[in-house]
This record gives sequence, structure tokens and C-alpha cells, in this order.
Amino acid sequence: MTPAQPNPAPRELDVRPILRSGGEPFQAIMEAVNGLKAGQALRLFAPFRPQPLFKVMEGRGFGHEAQEIEGGDWEVLFTPKRTGAPVVVSADADNPDSWPEPVEHLDLTELDPPEPMVRILAAAERMEPGEVLFALLSREPIFLFPELARRGHQWAGNFDETRSTFRIFIRVGKQGLKR
Amino acid sequence: MSGATLSKWTMSYFTAACLFLVIGQGMMVSGYGDPFADVGAPATLALVHVLAIGWLGLLMVGALLQFVPVLVTASLRGGRLALPALLLLIAGLLLLVGGFAAVAGTEGMAPGMLPFGALLLAIGFVLVTIMLAATLAAARPLPLPARFVAVGLIALCVTILLGGTFTLVLSGAVANVPAIALLLKGVPLHAALGLAGWLTFTAIGVSYRLLPMFMLAPDCTRATSKAVWWTGVAALALVAACVVSIATGSAAVKLPLSLAALLAAVATLFYSADLVRLFRERRRKTVELNIRASYAAFAALFVSVVMFALPVTSSADGEGATAVVYLFVFGWLTGLGLAQLYKIVPFLTWLECYGPVLGRVAVPRVQDLVEEKRASLWFCLYYGAVAAATFSLFAESPTAFRIALLAQLCATVGLIVELVRARILSSVAAPMRFPAGAPRPRLFFRSLDHRSNR
Repeated sequence: MTPAQPNPAPRELDVRPILRSGGEPFQAIMEAVNGLKAGQALRLFAPFRPQPLFKVMEGRGFGHEAQEIEGGDWEVLFTPKRTGAPVVVSADADNPDSWPEPVEHLDLTELDPPEPMVRILAAAERMEPGEVLFALLSREPIFLFPELARRGHQWAGNFDETRSTFRIFIRVGKQGLKR
Repeated sequence: MSGATLSKWTMSYFTAACLFLVIGQGMMVSGYGDPFADVGAPATLALVHVLAIGWLGLLMVGALLQFVPVLVTASLRGGRLALPALLLLIAGLLLLVGGFAAVAGTEGMAPGMLPFGALLLAIGFVLVTIMLAATLAAARPLPLPARFVAVGLIALCVTILLGGTFTLVLSGAVANVPAIALLLKGVPLHAALGLAGWLTFTAIGVSYRLLPMFMLAPDCTRATSKAVWWTGVAALALVAACVVSIATGSAAVKLPLSLAALLAAVATLFYSADLVRLFRERRRKTVELNIRASYAAFAALFVSVVMFALPVTSSADGEGATAVVYLFVFGWLTGLGLAQLYKIVPFLTWLECYGPVLGRVAVPRVQDLVEEKRASLWFCLYYGAVAAATFSLFAESPTAFRIALLAQLCATVGLIVELVRARILSSVAAPMRFPAGAPRPRLFFRSLDHRSNR
């Protein structure tokens, strides 16, 4: 689990017919890339491993995963690299990807500070250890982090692509219930 | 670790700063360091440094120790230097003031105190610079507000070097030509680097982060904000170049200084445009008193820079530019300082006292710690008095000035009493005031409980 919006399904492009008919597929590939939505990946089918294309796509901010499919053809998935802000995690956050789905969602973007901090800590008090809370804030809750750490909660969060909303997952720690 | 913890000594810096503000204004009310006298008079210099270092300097350092970590979202480096720095700065300032008093003819003081005071001040400010620069350096690339602070720290260092040189000459320890030339021609540059470079530039940087936070305005870096930084840096670089130029015996500083003044005026215009836009784009419709009082300070900044730039007003103000400097120091820097203290002190107190029990018991809101109606009267009186004092300096009316100053001192004391009341939680209803498990804030220190840093 990472703090990101679900991405649209990959767009598919099969350049094998173009190559079979003796054409040059580069133009078609670039058009397909330009037509991708934010965060959308491109799945490409080719009769060979398109090594030169990897460098080009790398330059455009895409990573790649290539695998051979039946008949000696290749399927390559070009995935856009994350452009969001770096994720901040608490020192003890062990692999946030493995955390369970949040049981509580809070939209705190319209609240004056420090009210978001109050709401998050109150919600965490109501939850069981190991449960996860998801919250949206209008800025990075810098004074909240030390308090979360002190109460034994873990967190992982970052800004969205527009840097206008901070998204945070908080996993309630065992000390969370201690008075 | 990311995030900002409460700075341990910020409240002590604020306490000392407020004391020096009261002392400084008290000195003026009693006629010591008369602004109608020559700016270079030793008594005036003693007064000016009580205000510039004792009040504004300590206030700024205390605020930066808390808010530089907020600017770069990283914890403060070398925080254990904060207390030694505070003690050195206070001791250095007292020696410096004693030295000026000796030059003014006060018995029992010696001019030799000047360089010793300057030395202690230099060590104190170097410790401060080490803490803040190390914190900034660990967080590169720096966001724009932090780049303002970085430039402010450089200006602080140049200001101290220059001031230290002055004390060596004044005490008779050094008598070489460059040092004497600096003392004769460099005093306005020392003042410009300190008041505009260190205090104003830093305050602008911090305001770019705090204002959007308090007003819920978009917190993005604008081209105009970058322009403020570039024009401001260019102006300060010109001033610094003039310092070198004077020391090397060149006399051609008039033109670069006029250019620096022009650039500073342009920076102020860009900054004013940013402030207006932030206010318009805010999502919080009714703004709190600290924002309203800050905008009064911004107006004072704008007016004082315009008055300095316009030939009509600046020539009416005379050689020392006393009225403009007064408006700049008390309307802009002090006004902003008091306005921000009015937000920061209750907030830090609230976090210190109720942070550990948040979500477990009912706690008051931050705004429950203050009584805005009463404080807004004090702010009105304060700014009214500053305006009256500025006019009386223009009109060269010492009597009117003293009356205005007395009102200004009363308003300041009134505001400090409000801060103390917030600190002792006296506005909070009794059942909520001290919930179980909440540490009780001490008046001048942050409570030294288990939370005091890792």
C-alpha cells in the first residue's frame, strides 16, 4: 500500500502488424505515449525485444518490464515513474506496503491547524493496535509526527502531484491505548 | 526524523527579548538615547543595541530555533548550543551597553568593555549560526523561505564583523586606517545589514511559510517571491561590496548605495504584491488578530521604504533618517514581532501542555488561550502610538514624541501581560485547564518533562 491514487489501466499497443507490413512503428509508439493519462502505463507488443526504445522511454520518465511471450514475441510494460513528492515514513515503519486497508478515512483539508492533529490523535485513540487510518490534510503535519512517534504509531505519507494535499497512512501502535 | 519538536529554549529567548523591549522603551521614555540627538552619540548607540540585539535579535533567534525546523521539515541540529548562545548574547550585550555608557561618560564603566562585549556577542551569534546553518544544510535543496533565512544569517555574520571592528576602534585597541574609515563611514551600512539584511530578510522568509499556514492560503513558490529574494540579495551584496570598498580606501560608495536602496524598494513592492495576493487567496475568511496586526506591520514596512525612497520625505527626515528608521524598527520589525508572538506563544504553550493528552481528554482550542478583544485594543494603541511618534519625529517635537512613546510602552506592557496570561493558561476554563497527564507550562522555560527531545 502506498499513498497514491489508483492508476488507470495500461493502454495497449501492438506494433507487430506495422512491422510485418514493413512500416516504422516509432511514430505510433510516441503518439500512444503522448496520449497516456497521468499515471497510466503502456503495454507494448513487438516481435523482438525493443532495446533502443528502453532508453527513449527512460528519458521520458518511464521504467520498463520486458518478457518474452509465445512465438518469440515480446511484451513490454512501460510504467511512469512516481513523480509525487518523496514519501516520509516514521523511523519504525516496517514496510508500509504490507499494512492492512484503512478502517477510517478522514478528510481534514478544510480545518484550521492544529485541529487536524487533534482529530487524527483522537481517531487513533479509538482504534485497535495494528489498524490503519488514512487522512487528507492541506499541509504536512510537522508537529504531529513527534506526537505520533511518542505514542508508538507508525506513519507513511506524502504530498500529491499538485502538492496541495498531504496524504497520510497511520498504523496504530500497541502503546496507542496506554494512558 | 521528520517533523518538528518543541524548541527547548525558545520561550527563554522570548522572555529575555520582551524584557529588553521594555527596558529599551523605558530608556527612551526617560530621555536616555534621545532620538533627536546625533545618531552616533554613545547613549543613542547603547539604546539602539538594546533594541536591535536585546529585543529584535533574541526574538528572531528564539523564533528561528523553533521555525527553521518547520521551514525545512527536519529537526534542529546542535540544539544544545541554544542555552550557551543565549547566555553569551545577553552577557555580550550588557558589556557592549556598558562600554557605550563609558564612552558617554558614565562612571564605573570602561570603553574596554566594548570589544569584550562584541566578542561574546560574536561567539553567541556564531553558535546560533552553526545550529541554524547545520539544520539548513541537512535539508538541501532549500525551499525558498529557508533561502531567505540563509541569506539573513550571512548578513548577520557581516553585521557582527563590522560591529566588532567598530568596537576595536572605539576602545582604542586598533587604530589602523581601514578600521577607522569603516567607523567613520560604515555605521549606516552596519545598520542596513542588521535591520534589513538579517532581521527583515529573515522575517520575510519565515512569513512566506507562516502566513499561508495561518490563513489557509496556497503555499506555493511564486515568481514574485523569487524576485523578492533576488532583488534583496542584489541589494545586500551591493551594501557588502561597499563595506569592502570603504575598507580599501575607495570613496565611490554613493552610487552603489543608491542602487541598493532602489533594489530594496523594488523588493518591497514585490513582497507587498505577494502579501496582498496571499490575503486575497486565503480560505480562512475571518483572520485572527495576529494576522491583522501583522498586516499593520507590513503597511509600516511599505510606508517606511517609500518614505526612504521618496526625495521629499527623506530630505524632510534629515541626515539620520530618524523618523523612517523609527517607523521601520517599531512599526515593521517590532509590530511584526509582537503580532507573531501573540500567535506563537499561545500555540507553543498549547502544544506543550495539551499535546501529550490530545485525543484522550477534552482540551481547549488554541484560541481559548487568548482574549483577542482586549489584545486588539493594545495593538490599536501600539500602532497609533508608533504613528504618532513617527510624526512627532518628523515635526521635531520632543514633547509629543515622549507622550507617544509612553503610550507605546503601555501598549507593549499590555501585550506582554497578555502573553503571560496565555502562558499561565489563565483564560482557559478551570475544569479544562490542567487535565490529568498534561505538563504544566513554566512561565519562562519549556517544561522539562520526558518530551524534551530525544
